[in-house]
Amino acid sequence: MIATIRSNVLRFILLVLLQALVIDHIDLANGWVVPYIYVLFILLLPFDTPDWATLLLGFLMGMVMDMFSSTPGMHASACVVMAYARIWMLRALVPREGYDPGKRPIIQHMGLAWFTTYAGVLILVHHLWLFFVEVYRFDDFLSTFLRALMSAIATFILCLLSQALLSRDIRTR
Amino acid sequence: MRDLFRFFFRQRNNLLFLALLGISLSLLIGGNMHQRAQAISSSNNAIGQIYLWRHDLTEFTDLRAVNQQLAQELAEERTLNHTSSTGKDSVALRVDSARKEAYKFINAQVINSTAHKERNYLTLDRGTLDGIHPDLGVVGMNGIVGIVRDASPHFSLVTSILGNEIEPSVVLSRTGHYGLLKWDTNDPATASMVDVAKYVPVHVGDPVVTRGGDHVFPAGFPVGTVIAVNDDPGSNFHGITIKLAEDLTRSGYVHIVFDLLGNERDSLEAKTALP
Repeated sequence: MIATIRSNVLRFILLVLLQALVIDHIDLANGWVVPYIYVLFILLLPFDTPDWATLLLGFLMGMVMDMFSSTPGMHASACVVMAYARIWMLRALVPREGYDPGKRPIIQHMGLAWFTTYAGVLILVHHLWLFFVEVYRFDDFLSTFLRALMSAIATFILCLLSQALLSRDIRTR
Repeated sequence: MRDLFRFFFRQRNNLLFLALLGISLSLLIGGNMHQRAQAISSSNNAIGQIYLWRHDLTEFTDLRAVNQQLAQELAEERTLNHTSSTGKDSVALRVDSARKEAYKFINAQVINSTAHKERNYLTLDRGTLDGIHPDLGVVGMNGIVGIVRDASPHFSLVTSILGNEIEPSVVLSRTGHYGLLKWDTNDPATASMVDVAKYVPVHVGDPVVTRGGDHVFPAGFPVGTVIAVNDDPGSNFHGITIKLAEDLTRSGYVHIVFDLLGNERDSLEAKTALP
């Protein structure tokens, strides 16, 4: 329990710093691809996180990102929507025998297909909300949609990469 | 009553979701209009400090460009000095109190900036202790940059012209016609000039400068040059695309502009406006 909390706090801090200090300063394709890797924090919360905690932690993560990017409420709202969607996704994707208490929502434990559905949908929900709130209007619908989609793909690839690079389970197995 | 409590208990997650969403949406709507949400911005001291550390780490990667910029500025300054000291009426200019200095510039370092988002901001290493307050203009070495939005004791947050929040008044310096600078190109190197009537002869290469008189930017400060004129037959106005003079994708040194005669002009105008 303590170890889980510690690793999640550490992940929170690392992802915030990575996003605010590195990724926000990389300009890919003239603003068409803006990955938001910090959502990985919400994706990787343990399965047995209470729903209220998921919502509050999502809100907290969004507020911290808002402080860094001077956009009050923008990331916070996107993260709250994503956290709420996660609660429903976990219910929809539950395996026949339920979630194994020893398992975490990562590829090594749940498989690539499960993780792609889970992370893909949630990242897309978050990015679509964020990009549409950011432009505040619907008149460039297609370009905003494309920007959100391409950024979501970039975020997803970064999520896969981070798991491939950082997971200990592969090496020890 | 028991049923009500049971309902709330069963719906607690949905209610929490709605409450958190409500808080963030009210921040979103209120925060962009007022200074109320100052804590949630990068002029906040803790966040400013983190950006300052990052800046200290990455500063050396920009040194070559900054050096070049400073050297060029020095050269321009020297040219200016040289011409004014040999000019005939430079002494007269200096003692003439009517020509007293109208603008003060103080330099600041950009410690954080973005240029590829929908709305962009810069964080500067100067704050209220240096006299910075909201609505001051910020100019770069080559052209205008933005307007101060928030200031804490040591840092200030600048709304970049790359965004839809500010539309500075600009003028085609060759013909003298006014328009507004609008960033609708989604490209950090270019912007549009709108509200220029079709009868105005605009050519590619025409310089665009600030109009001044808005207490923010001095008049005649460079903004960019016209690179394309696309006219929509259904509109009475030109569609002018300009290349911005300042490269906002590069953080470096900027100047914050104080309009020293602004209050004097304000009170004069206010007096005249009275019935």
